[in-house]
Amino acid sequence: MKNLEDLKKQIKDGLSELDVVIGWTDSFDPLHATPHFMRSEADVDKLKVDALCVHNLATYLPSLKGKKVGIVVKGCDSRSVVELLQENLISREDVTIFGFGCSGVVDQVKIRRAVGEAGMVESCEVSGTEVKLTVAGKEHKLPMADVIADKCQTCRYPNAVLSDQFVGEEIKPTASFEDGYKDLEEFEAKSTEEKFTFWLGEMDRCIRCYACRNACPMCVCRDHCVAQSRDPHWLSQEAHVRDKWMFQVIHAYHLTGRCTECGECQRACPVDIPILLFKKKFNKEIKEVFNYEAGLDPEATPPLQTFKIDEPTIKEKEW
Amino acid sequence: MPVLEGKELRIVGFLCNWCSYGGADTAGVGRFTQPTDLRIIKVPCSGRIDPLFIVKTLMSGADGVLVSGCHPNDCHYAEGNFYARRRLEMLKRFIPMLGIDPERFDYTWVSASEGQRWQEVVTKFTEQIHKLGPARKIEGPDAEATLKLMEESL
Amino acid sequence: MKIGVFVCHCGTNIEGTVDTAAVAEAAREFPGVVFATDTMYACSEPGQDEIIEAIKEHKLDGVVVASCTPRMHEPTFRKTLERAGLNRYLFEMANIREHVSWIGRDREANTNKSVDLVRMAAAKLLNNKPLHAKYFDMNKRVMIVGGGVAGIQAALDCADGGLEVILVEKTSSIGGKMAKLDKTFPTVDCSSCILGPRMVDVAQHPNITLYACAEIEEVNGYVGNFSVKVKRKATYVDWDKCTGCGICMEKCPSKKADNPFDEELGKTTAINIPFPQAIPKKAVIDPNFCIKIKRDKCGVCAKVCPSDAIVYDQVDEFVVEEVGAVVAATGFDLVDWTVYGEYGGGQYPDVITSLQYERMLSASGPTEGHIKRPSDGKEPKNVVFIQCVGSRDKSIGRPYCSGFCCMYTAKQAILTKDHCPDSQSYVFYMDIRSPGKMFDEFTRRAQEEYNARYIRGRVSMIYPKGDKLVVRGADTLMGDQVEVDADLVVLAVGAESAHGASDLAKKLRISYDAYGFFMEGHPKLKPVETNTAGVFLAGSCQGPKDIPSSVAQGSAAAAKVLAMFAKDQLESDPAVSVVDIKRCIGCGKCISTCPFGAIKEVDFRGQPKAEVIETICQGCGICTATCPQGAIQLQHFTDNQILAEVNAVCRF
Repeated sequence: MKNLEDLKKQIKDGLSELDVVIGWTDSFDPLHATPHFMRSEADVDKLKVDALCVHNLATYLPSLKGKKVGIVVKGCDSRSVVELLQENLISREDVTIFGFGCSGVVDQVKIRRAVGEAGMVESCEVSGTEVKLTVAGKEHKLPMADVIADKCQTCRYPNAVLSDQFVGEEIKPTASFEDGYKDLEEFEAKSTEEKFTFWLGEMDRCIRCYACRNACPMCVCRDHCVAQSRDPHWLSQEAHVRDKWMFQVIHAYHLTGRCTECGECQRACPVDIPILLFKKKFNKEIKEVFNYEAGLDPEATPPLQTFKIDEPTIKEKEW
Repeated sequence: MPVLEGKELRIVGFLCNWCSYGGADTAGVGRFTQPTDLRIIKVPCSGRIDPLFIVKTLMSGADGVLVSGCHPNDCHYAEGNFYARRRLEMLKRFIPMLGIDPERFDYTWVSASEGQRWQEVVTKFTEQIHKLGPARKIEGPDAEATLKLMEESL
Repeated sequence: MKIGVFVCHCGTNIEGTVDTAAVAEAAREFPGVVFATDTMYACSEPGQDEIIEAIKEHKLDGVVVASCTPRMHEPTFRKTLERAGLNRYLFEMANIREHVSWIGRDREANTNKSVDLVRMAAAKLLNNKPLHAKYFDMNKRVMIVGGGVAGIQAALDCADGGLEVILVEKTSSIGGKMAKLDKTFPTVDCSSCILGPRMVDVAQHPNITLYACAEIEEVNGYVGNFSVKVKRKATYVDWDKCTGCGICMEKCPSKKADNPFDEELGKTTAINIPFPQAIPKKAVIDPNFCIKIKRDKCGVCAKVCPSDAIVYDQVDEFVVEEVGAVVAATGFDLVDWTVYGEYGGGQYPDVITSLQYERMLSASGPTEGHIKRPSDGKEPKNVVFIQCVGSRDKSIGRPYCSGFCCMYTAKQAILTKDHCPDSQSYVFYMDIRSPGKMFDEFTRRAQEEYNARYIRGRVSMIYPKGDKLVVRGADTLMGDQVEVDADLVVLAVGAESAHGASDLAKKLRISYDAYGFFMEGHPKLKPVETNTAGVFLAGSCQGPKDIPSSVAQGSAAAAKVLAMFAKDQLESDPAVSVVDIKRCIGCGKCISTCPFGAIKEVDFRGQPKAEVIETICQGCGICTATCPQGAIQLQHFTDNQILAEVNAVCRF
């Protein structure tokens, strides 16, 4: 990041007023970043912002409610913050948002596929156009376009949509709404049978680890998720594909009109089930019927939490 | 006793107490003959129906789900069916994503006085489900198909 | 839980197409069921005693009755459980009559379906919990909406019973449609002579507050504690000062104002008291015709008013009344008959409605009781009455019979002869419906003593010929075409719900049918109740009714209100939402979607949480379907209860 020092200065300036500022820093190897909770200037010095900083840090905000929190956000992360504000799960005066324009993050799965599970990552350099790594003594040069996350390729909100401090220049988005849903359309073109079979196979691989839920900034029920409660008792604790599949539908439906498509659920999935497709489907329909996108306006009401007496966009079946 | 093999399919109805359940009663009192497949679950208001009940029902092996509430503007609780309409419409649009035919789920409005309309809705919906036949059950993954899929993706 | 299952034969109603013994047999295998039997009439006294005995003998703590719809007998059986010492919510019903035995004749399929319905009921019951009602105070005042004869009767009966009554009337006088009538069938009494004293009673009753020229703006609250905002429309006359002397009407130069009281038969003055017996007898200015209000000229009425009552700049006012019950008595209006091209579609001045004819017959009407053709003022000789105009006609969406038209047409035929002894009446009818006391005799009198010619058949067209109208129709009894040269044609226009009734229904949260008539609680057993506790019906707002039926319903509604208020406190329905405070994350989605404002945010150890106000919650369950973590659960319809039913019906 070009303006990293500016950002660090901004954070340091605000640090006295804040209990903690959340950002990213180096992780166990040079190819990964990890969430970073900054309380001192020394912590701030370790801040890292680049294409490896995949985590949506908004996930941590509700649990820090009541504290004065600063947060560093990419465009997509900022939409989650907006959504949390909209739902009263955090209060605006307690949160200081450090935004910037993001040119995309990497998809670790793509890197893994390109490099192979070859062993220790010794070094990694990320520039705007390239990821250069040394793995087990061997150097790999991967063009950014090959390893960028899918969601970033069709990003329409690269800049933080809401921020108190914005560092650097804004990035001009190039994608259209439709661009973001090509994969969905491709999937939808399959036959009913194919889709059913596909999910049956995919969902069977689910290990019910709930990483998808825990990574989701909008899964605010946390310890009270209906997936693991007896009252209400929506799901059994069996390892049956029916329950796993049902859980994913619950997750997606609970996000209808709230999901900002940050993609954390799918990124966190250890068995790579394309669960973002469900959320995209709901989002596409929400846009089509209610012309609404989540995470843009803290004052808006999600479409399923309100109604119109006449719904000109809902064509009901005639019997 | 299992569902009458080959004769009946498993159709579940979620009906609001005030209008549609009453409409089904009115149809009964009027002796308006209907197919026997439908099993009705009574709820106070269509606004009470979490769309996930419908998914749960379909995933649990139902061949069709029918939801009916008061006509918009005529909800006993003033607004319940307005919320229901949005939520059910979203679900209706989502269902094909799961590989379930969207025709297996319908929602409509029937008032307590519309016994005849209820008869018509039940008859048509039951015919519609019979045309589709039994739904695929989630018994576990189809090993062969999964393998084929994995081969394709490789 | 130990569940007992009782499968009712309902005589042959159920047993005829369901093998109830087989259903009971199957039920014995269901989880929790320890006892199951079939029974002849579960609701009968021996049937209920059998349930009580079984509860005691088998130590049951839950009961399923498979019989008719719970909308019918659920309260009965809940009381049975209570008599046996069980909580009334440990009860479920399987509807195997309306939803099974009455809709199909396939005994095997019906029996199988009944088994499923019992299985679902038992599965839900396993998740039921005892619930206990709370008691709350009520405001023992009643609001009656509509001052026609039904509303008047309800108001007087309630007031005589000692209740404070607020009577709200849309127009400037009470009396409704009955006040417009000249005579009533089958006695041919003078309508205003019998209604007038009742209207005066309303005005003089110390317990009745009358708001004329007023409408319901907004209804909040619930049974026992409604808060109703009433709009008192500007009348431009200070009614506290107006004495009803009528000098203003005499002097008003604007004499072409609409005249709804006379059904637009003739015009009236811009400042007006609709009829001599009006209650309240107060003048009202029609701002659309008042020269002063429209053009700031004139001002004659203010000059001549001896009590200085004219207020040209009056505006609408709002009052809020706190009441415990509401009686809707909004009556009916006439169907728009101008859709019928064959009757001239409103083009011929001498084709009038029966209500217009009624005004013509009335001594206080626009013609002072003389029958005159609107076109030339001549007395008609041949008068043709056409029945079922806008009744029993599917083609215009009015398939129902309006009920009273046959009788008033006979009355009008009789009165025509009284007024014009040389006249001849013709009545085109479909069927004569005269099932009341002395009704059939009355129509016979019209034919036999008054020589009205009844022709069974429809009129296919009316067309002008000279100064007459030719009425062409079929005589289906003779199998012939008939043509009558009529001087005046009177259409027996059918009734539909009062205009604006559906708006009121929405405010009161009561249902209405496809024609706008309000829905009663049960077509047989709850004719004046609605499905909204504390809201009752009287008169034609529920369906077309003649005067005695409307009066009877007015009294019936009053009796219901008085019975409700005879209690010290009301019981709240415990099937309300409850928040599991541990699970609530305080996001407030339930608060924003509750239509009743029944959920509030509270502070629990520094955390925001939702809390349900029990007496306000109506039990719709929108909150439960909204809360993603299921922290707020509608009692008796919890997620687990509904899921149990789903699981019971969808077994692998």
